[in-house]
This record gives sequence, C-alpha cells and structure tokens, in this order.
Amino acid sequence: MEDEKKGTRLSRRSFLKGIGGGAIGTAVISTGLVKSDSAEGYSPETSGAGGNRATITLKVNGKAYRVEVEHRSTLAEVLRDELGLTGTKIGCDRGECGACTVIINGHNMYACSQLAVWMQGKDILTVEGLAKGDKLDPLQEAFIEHDGPQCGFCTSGQIMSGKALLMKNPKPDEAQARRGLSGNLCRCGNYNREVAAVLAAAAKSS
Amino acid sequence: MAQAPKEYSIVGKQTPRIDAYERVTGQAQYTGDLQLPGMLYARVLRSNVPHAKIISIDTSKAEKLPGVKAVIHHENAKVPWSSGGHTHRRYIFNNPVRYVGDPVAAVAATDRHIAEDALKLIDVKYEKIPHVLDANEALKPDAPKIAPNGNLSVGKGAFSAPIEESWGDIEQGFKDADRVFEDTYITKHVNNAQLERRVSIAKWDAGKLTVYASTQGVSNARTDIAKDFALPLSKVRVVCKYMGGGFGNKNQAQDYDYMAAMLAKVAAQPVKLEFTREDDYIGMHGRWASEQHYKVGVKNDGTITAVSLDAVTNMGAYRKQSGNLSGTDFYNIPNFKKVIKPVHTNTVVAANYRAPAYPQSVFGFASFLDQVAFELGVNPLDMFMRNRAQKSKGKLPFTSNYLEQCILEGSKRIGFSEKWHKPGATAGPVKHGIGMALGGYPFRPGLGAATIRVNPDGTAHVLVGVTDIGTGAKSTMAIIASEALGIPLNQIQLTNGDTDVTPYSVGESGSRTTAFTGPAVVAAAEDVRKQIFALASAPMKSKPEELDLRDGQVFRKADSAQRIALGQIVKDSGDLIGRATTNPNFPKEMDGKCFSAHFAEVEVDTWTGHVRITRYVAAHDSGAILNRLTAESQIKGGVVQGIGMAFSEELLIDKVTAIPINPNYRDAKVPTHLETPEVEVIFVEHYDPYGVFGGKVVGEPPITAAVATIANAIFNATGKRFKELPITPDKIVRAVQV
Repeated sequence: MEDEKKGTRLSRRSFLKGIGGGAIGTAVISTGLVKSDSAEGYSPETSGAGGNRATITLKVNGKAYRVEVEHRSTLAEVLRDELGLTGTKIGCDRGECGACTVIINGHNMYACSQLAVWMQGKDILTVEGLAKGDKLDPLQEAFIEHDGPQCGFCTSGQIMSGKALLMKNPKPDEAQARRGLSGNLCRCGNYNREVAAVLAAAAKSS
Repeated sequence: MAQAPKEYSIVGKQTPRIDAYERVTGQAQYTGDLQLPGMLYARVLRSNVPHAKIISIDTSKAEKLPGVKAVIHHENAKVPWSSGGHTHRRYIFNNPVRYVGDPVAAVAATDRHIAEDALKLIDVKYEKIPHVLDANEALKPDAPKIAPNGNLSVGKGAFSAPIEESWGDIEQGFKDADRVFEDTYITKHVNNAQLERRVSIAKWDAGKLTVYASTQGVSNARTDIAKDFALPLSKVRVVCKYMGGGFGNKNQAQDYDYMAAMLAKVAAQPVKLEFTREDDYIGMHGRWASEQHYKVGVKNDGTITAVSLDAVTNMGAYRKQSGNLSGTDFYNIPNFKKVIKPVHTNTVVAANYRAPAYPQSVFGFASFLDQVAFELGVNPLDMFMRNRAQKSKGKLPFTSNYLEQCILEGSKRIGFSEKWHKPGATAGPVKHGIGMALGGYPFRPGLGAATIRVNPDGTAHVLVGVTDIGTGAKSTMAIIASEALGIPLNQIQLTNGDTDVTPYSVGESGSRTTAFTGPAVVAAAEDVRKQIFALASAPMKSKPEELDLRDGQVFRKADSAQRIALGQIVKDSGDLIGRATTNPNFPKEMDGKCFSAHFAEVEVDTWTGHVRITRYVAAHDSGAILNRLTAESQIKGGVVQGIGMAFSEELLIDKVTAIPINPNYRDAKVPTHLETPEVEVIFVEHYDPYGVFGGKVVGEPPITAAVATIANAIFNATGKRFKELPITPDKIVRAVQV
C-alpha cells in the first residue's frame, strides 16, 4: 500500500475547516462565502491527477459552497460527506428508492443520480433547509403529528417530494399526493401516514 | 373485556414519537451519517460463482492503488462468525464459497470510490464445485454437499433438523374426519429490503473495540463480537442511536461489523464499511422460501379433526435461523403433526424477516383452509370462526385471547357476510373479491434492564439498551417511564443503544422490547419512587406509603391537595438512581399470543392480471395499546410488506449461473405509494394481566395474515386458487384464461 504524498489524511470535518488538501479525496476550500450566480452552467475547472476533479460552487439552502469534487461524485455524496448535510440519505444509490430526494430548481430529484459537477449554479434545497430557524415547515409539523417517520430513513425524501408537490400544487387531492410521493419508497410501509401528512399540511396552509 | 386497574395519564393516547423532530429535520444521526477523524471507507468483494474452492487470491494490484489501506480475505482474516451459521463453522470469509454473494475480500481506502476501484483489481481463482439451487434437489443422495453433514441442515438444539412437533393422535384424527384434503403451497425468498443499507463503523482504542453498528440489538451484537474476537465484554462497545429499518436482518452482529473491525485493526484507522443495495439483497438474508404439503381432516361442517404438514424450507448456504413454519398456530387443531426440513442450497442465505415463520405458512394454511371451505360448501367466515385457536397447541390456555372479537369486528367493518359471493361470480372482466385470514404472533415476557435517574430539578433520565428500528420503541419506553414514574413525558430524556452507557436489552426483534424491557422500566421507576417518597416523608409529614407521585407532583393519597413539586423534594439530593433487572415469566401451564383477523376486498382485472386492493381492514388483539399512533403505523406497515410478498416480491436466481438477477428495489418490486390502499386498523383492546400496562405484541403480527388475506380475496374474485407466491399478473391471466 503506497503512502499518500501528504501523509495521513485528516478527517473530512477538518477539511471542512479548511485545514488540509490531501492528494486523494475531495476538499472543501471554503464555506458559505462565494458568489452565488446561478447562471454559470457546467464549466468546472478540472484539477487533480488525470484531471478527474473539479472545483464547483454549490448553492444549498441559500448558502454557496465552493467545493472540489471528483467528477464521479454524486450530489448525494457531496452533500453528506463534504457539506455534512446528512439529512439526505442514500438508500439504493441507483435512482430507485428516493431516500436522497432533494429539490433542485423547484423539482424533486434523486441526489444520487445527479453528479455534483452538474449542479453548478443550481438552487438546491435539502431537508435541513426547510425550517425557518426554530419554526418547522408545516409539512414537517404534519409529519410529526401524523407519525410520518417509522424508521425515518426515507422521511427526508418523502418530505422533499411532498414539499415539491405543494410548491407546484398547494391543494393536491389524495390521488395527486400519492402520485407526487410515488418515487419515494418506504419499506416500513408507512404510505398512509405520509400521504395523510401531505394532505394535512396542504389543509393547514390555506 | 378485561379492564386496566386504573386510569392512565399517557398510556393509551396518541403520542407523537419523542424523536420525531430529529427525524423530520434530518438531524437524526444514523450510523452511516457518522464521520470519525481519519475514517476510511470499505467495500466488499463477493463470490460470482455458487460453489467453489478458492485456489488463489491475488490482492497485490489492489494494494498498490493509491489510497488503499487494508485488504482482508480468508487467508489473513480468519474470523469466525458464530451467529452466521449454526450447522457448520462460518467465517467472515469462507473457502469454499457456497453461494453467489459469499464474501471473498474487503478493502478499506481513503475514499469509497477508491475502495470500489480496488475490488476490481483483486484476482480470485476459483475451482468450481457442482452446485444445487433447488431445495428438493439438494435432499437427493447424489446432490453436491454444501455442509459437512449434508444438505439437511442439522445443527444443535434449536437448530436441529428436521423440526418436528406433534400432539393428539394424528391417525385417529384423520379417521374421525368426514373428508380429508391434501395440497401443496409454495412461497419464495423475499428480502427484508429495509431502506438503510448495512453500514458499520469500527475503531480500536488501546485494545478496546467500538462498533457504531446498524443493529437491532446492541447487547447481543456486543456479545457476538466479544465471543468471536475473544475479547471481554468490557472491551467491546456497540452503539446504535438511530436505525433505518431491519425487519429481522440486522439483529446481532453481522459479518460486515467484523470486517470493519478487522480492516480498522489492519489499517490502524477507523473504518466505515458500507454495503451497496445489491450487497444488501444478496449479502445478508431474506425470508426462507418454502414448499408446504398439507393434509387436513375435517368434519362436513368444517371442523378440523387433524392437520399434518410436511415441508422443506430453503435456508441457503448457511443456517442462521430456524426455518420453521408456524402458520397453523391460530387454529384449534386437536391432532397435529409437522415435519419441516430446513435445507442447504447454494443460494442466498435465508433467515429472519418480520414474523419469521409466519406469513409464508399463514399463506399456505389459510389459503388451504379457504379452499377446503369452498370444497365443503362452507362460508370462509364460518370456517375461520369455527376453527379459530382457543387453546395453545390444543391444550394450554392463553393469557388473553380476543381472536373471536377480531373476527367479529373486522368482518362487520368490511361487511364480509353481505359482500361475499360465489367465487368468480362477478360479471365482466373486472372481478370483485373478498377474503380473510387469521394471524398473530407469540407473546412472552423475558429478561430486561433499565436505569432511571431523577435529576435535582425533578426531570428524569431513562437509560435503556433498546434500539428503535422504527417501531417507536424509544417512545414506548419513555411513555412507560412517564406513566410508572408520574413524571410528564416532556420532562423525560431517554438515552438508548450504547453498551457503555445503557443496560442490557434483548434486542429489538421478535416483538419483545415492550414485554422484556418494559417491566424493567416499571420496576426501576418503582425503585426510584421509593427513594422519592422516603425523602418527601418529612416535609409532607407523612409515611412514605401514604404518598403518591403524578404529573411531577408528590401528594398525599388521602388528600391530593397536599402536594409538593418533585423538583422541590429532590433539589438537594444529587441524582436519585432507580434500577432494575427483571425476568418475569408466565405461570407454567399458560401461553401468550396476540391475534389478528384481516379482511380485504380486491378488483381483479382478468384481462391484464392487475389486482387492486379496494379496501383493507386489519383487526388486532394486541392487548392494551400503549401508543395508538405508533401502534397503528406498525399495523399499516406490516400489511404493506404483506402486499409486496403477495403480489410481486421474489429474489430470482438464474438457473445456469446461480446469479441473483433482481437484487434491487426496481426489479424486486417492493410496494410503492401507488399500490397501497388505506389500511383500516381495529384494535380489540383489553388488559392482558401479564403485559406491561396490559399490552402484548404489536410489531411482528401485522404481516402474518396479509398475504393469505389477499390470496383468498383473489380466489373469491376469480374462482382460481393460487398456490405459489408471488401472485403476479401473468399467473392470473394464465389461470383465468384456462
């Protein structure tokens, strides 16, 4: 096993603090202080050995993050491992279960199926961005009241799909709610509760 | 109906989970969310052949890949995995490999992508051994031998084979019958498919191993790890705070926990080992497939006189669990005999999945009884009511039994008698059907432990070893503590799932948490209440036994106006500690069970084979319900898992290569929002004298009756009996076109 060029890697958290930049892996160069012009499109600078890395700006929950990522890193991986936003879960990592659902430019999408380098300039909303300070989003409150989470692993994704639906259609009927959440699997089988929570949140915000 | 001895403050209400806020804001830290300083990422390489000797394994290229820190395999990491197999010694890496998916090597690297790259650089040379995939084939004398003792899976004690049970006089029972029927029902291997992929983080500190596991039982995981790594229990810490589902396949320690520990040892760095979704489908286990041959003797009115069951269950390459079939439990059978052969094949391992021995055999037996009723011209409702269990194993009384009320209330709610019709009687291509079945699960108490600390301000801290796999166990424990202490729920903090901090728990499996740990929480509360009343005695000018505590107020029983806030009483006392280890049991000649009766209406489109469930009613006898909100969710969810098993789920294995071909959500077809009907839940509530606050069992039962209920509704719609799961559209179209 070859030693890395710069010695033992520090934790990813210490990267977050901007301490190091190992030869391997991705590094957050700084957090929350870079321009957030969303019109840039995909024009990453390449870096790293073999040009397989890029530095991009991610706009997440209203904050801009400048991150160096591997080209093959998914948005879900970067949110979780680099930005510490672990509310977005990875259930299948192949676009089937919806645990990683986030809202990108107003649409609910699987973060495991989006490369991070495609996200330059996009507006990304994760479950951590829903509450306004201590004030939960009405959908989160409804998920508590209606027992939306059993094991809770799919919950972030269910909530984000529900939120995307309510953003487009504030008064869905039950069939529309089901359809809106249909890309989100819940193996606990708590579908009745999740649909009820979306309908309750819609009723509340009238 | 038996009543509770007193009015409760919080037991029996609709209480949101105590950790719901964390779960809806993304703040809940599941095992995979944790990052430790210097942590490496690990991946597993699996066998792509079903049965082979590993001749050589060359890891040199993988080791040279920059970022790779450790590579382990059967030669350099020969760690036994005791709970992984009970018929022959199983290691975390085995040679020979015995199924496609058997782990061959694991790699830890600075990044998960590098670990994945490294797997492709490992060169394994296999010498193939003949293999067998079918359980019946595996029992033939000339079949390739998978275990040293042969393919009938013979282990010790609970893992002996065949599994045999009998009572009464089976021959006499068949002689007493007016009619005798025989038939065979088949179920397939289905995966637990919990959303959280398996993950384990291991680190070593001066000879002490800490495993952040995704486990249903931190205590039993610790015991397993200590045993297999030859460490004292004090040198092993297992932590699991939030857990993303398991349904029986994350109990105890698993091979990936051991691989993470070994990689962490070799690399001298913490290691996070993650399964892919495919790993999860083939690398752990699913529900055992079965072939069930029943012979049933009945009187002309439908009364059962005798039942015999001969079955084989396919346990895959290793015997992790029993392989039993217990779907006959819910019926009154005077003469009974079963012989079940758990069998090894070169396929994915089968073991526990929610109510392990039940849904597959409830499907078989309740389908068959429904068929027998049809042959006799007896209405299924009469058939199930007539033969419902009234005693355990034909003789022992139950601690409580409200199965009759489940049948009555459920059938009334759905309108069974009015809606039932001659099978296949609906005109037109879309046919209506209605069906029912009985289910349930054993209820028994057992060993538990709890510690309660009352803080100087009168708030309380409850420590329990339980994990919360989604049932709401943390909330249930807090509710029990609140009720037993007399301290409001919002003044109770609960710490769970950390063997260095929390006391023993049986593990959240077998619907045992409430029945095992609940009594310990109650006893610990009583212990600390005694200390509180001793302290309050002087200021309240009363004897301790004259005092009570409710809503955080200590008061005189004789005059509740005389009261002092708990925080006043204990403010100068440091922490008061209540503790208990309890091990209650039933009286000898008694058995415990919870029961259910499920009812479904379906519409079967005979042109497309598509089935829509239009109504579903689940009536349950779970004793008293401690939290109606979470209990109802459990019932709803169990039914949905049954829907998947009934309609679509089956792990398909290619007959030539032995490679599983659908190890993922899309192809395994787990149910989605779109197929799920509203599940109407009825609790036939009563106070069971042996349950905590009268409660019995909630989590395991709801899946048991669901599959058979749907199958029987499809029979009523089509007049065709489906004897093999899953009941897919192609099977329906083929059957109705005959």
